[in-house]
Amino acid sequence: MLKFLPADVLKSHSSRRGSSWGSVFWGVWLVLACELPANASPGTAVEPREVREWLMRIHNAASQRNFQGTFVVSSPGVVSSARISHFHEGADQFERIEPLEGQARQVLRHNGIVHTVWPGEKVALIEQREVLNSFPSLLLDGDDRITDVYEVQAQKGERVAGHDANVLTLKPRDEYRYAYRLWAERESGLLLRVEVLNALGEVLEVSAFSDVVIGVRAQPEIVLQPMRKLAGYRVIKPALQATALDAEGWELRRTVAGFRQLSCVRRPLEVFHAPDVKTGAAAASQPVQAVQTIFSDGITYVSIFIEPFNADRHSRPVITVVGATQTMMSRRGDHWVTVVGDVPAVTLRAFTNALDRRK
Amino acid sequence: MTNEPDSSDDAATARRQDMSALVDGELAAEGVQRLCAAWRSEPSSREAWHAYSLIGDVMRSEDLASAAAHDERFLRDFRQRLSDEPVVLAPQPASAPRYASAPAATRRSGIRSWRAPAAVAAGLMVVVGAMVTTQAPDQPTVDSASMAAVPAGRASGLVPAPQLAGLTPQAEVTPATTELVFDGQVIRDPRLDRYLLAHKQFSGSSVLGAPSGFLRNAVAEVPAR
Repeated sequence: MLKFLPADVLKSHSSRRGSSWGSVFWGVWLVLACELPANASPGTAVEPREVREWLMRIHNAASQRNFQGTFVVSSPGVVSSARISHFHEGADQFERIEPLEGQARQVLRHNGIVHTVWPGEKVALIEQREVLNSFPSLLLDGDDRITDVYEVQAQKGERVAGHDANVLTLKPRDEYRYAYRLWAERESGLLLRVEVLNALGEVLEVSAFSDVVIGVRAQPEIVLQPMRKLAGYRVIKPALQATALDAEGWELRRTVAGFRQLSCVRRPLEVFHAPDVKTGAAAASQPVQAVQTIFSDGITYVSIFIEPFNADRHSRPVITVVGATQTMMSRRGDHWVTVVGDVPAVTLRAFTNALDRRK
Repeated sequence: MTNEPDSSDDAATARRQDMSALVDGELAAEGVQRLCAAWRSEPSSREAWHAYSLIGDVMRSEDLASAAAHDERFLRDFRQRLSDEPVVLAPQPASAPRYASAPAATRRSGIRSWRAPAAVAAGLMVVVGAMVTTQAPDQPTVDSASMAAVPAGRASGLVPAPQLAGLTPQAEVTPATTELVFDGQVIRDPRLDRYLLAHKQFSGSSVLGAPSGFLRNAVAEVPAR
């Protein structure tokens, strides 16, 4: 963590705590850190062109390698894990994800088609996720947007989940995004571990393989078979309809530096809770359509949801935090605006404030 | 909220007796609630409460003497300012021990600076969702300073009940007490989940997307019922 923290941040951190213990500790630690260059090596800056190569490698490994492993996502108070298998055969990608906690369910993906299946409830959700492949275009543009907003450094290699990994740090150049540490497997580039850190260097969320085997035999049938067996299931297919902010009567006066609009869709919001009769919450609510606009800076992304204001469901402006994901909700005239993203609250606020009603 | 007429002397007397019991930490839970409701609705109760507090304050130090209007104005302004603020729900950081106990171990471990190591251990939550708690809406909006003076009353009187934060329409302001705590009073707000799900569907739009974002999406997926 220290690699991320300039001395003044450390100082303010300790003084904020107001504890003399803390100050002494940080002081001692700073001295130690200065004397141990191996521990506090600042890392080597990576050229923009190299950054693109790194990220392409990471992206390609995730799509074009065959691997199986256990993936764990943790943030303070929350730990969840899933078993994942990913295969690449010809031009096709297959993926099967089985969360290991909670209700039994499977996520099955064949290219852009994603089935989420709850065998116990006999419910299947079928979605089209074409956006999944849109990311490389952000990298291939040739501009250096990512290095404009993140300072990328290569760190000393480490071992993760039984594999040697290269370590990259992405430090934001402004206040509008979080810092990241990425561990990419040395041979394939597969992302083994990701940490999201705030400005104080505190880890907000860790996603990591606890074990993974890279280069397994492709078994597309373990994905395709359950995708075909949907007899007896209640199948939900939420319809996403392409639209545009201005067509919906909205305008974003300016976007946050580094963020670019990727897509804009009109979608139902209630899809998941429609069958929920226990709480009665869904029964009372009509199917609500929202306009979702997605912005990305290449590393993280932000969604803006706009829906008609409803006094029953919407009340005060709220900010919530789940791991690294923050949500800001507020009223804008006759509408309710929800901005979601793995970004600091200031970014959500900037997006919210930049939104204007045009008609 | 009970709205008994102020003219009822008996009620007012009973109230003052309750108040006295509260200050002594001897009032039962329902008594505290009744009293708080009265405090909210009746100016005379507030005055009486202020007088009692004032007596106590002045006995401790004459500098603490102030007119009731002073407190009321402060509270009113405070509420106004609070209601203009968005409610922030964030994990409550674990307090001091992190610094005092074995910092070196924390620093060297892979997870570098967990804010709440204890919370991690205690809260092996199965589902990722918004963890939201607030306290019961009809809980006293009494200034917490005076309530703090009656620990016994507080302990028995304030039973936090899970509520959807910020979703409870309420005339009086309680957001001051709205906070996220991992103490078993944790609930998920399904209304937030749908946004998170819709958002994570586009996880492919980031570099961390295809591998971890998509996985995270699956991990965080919320059951269809």
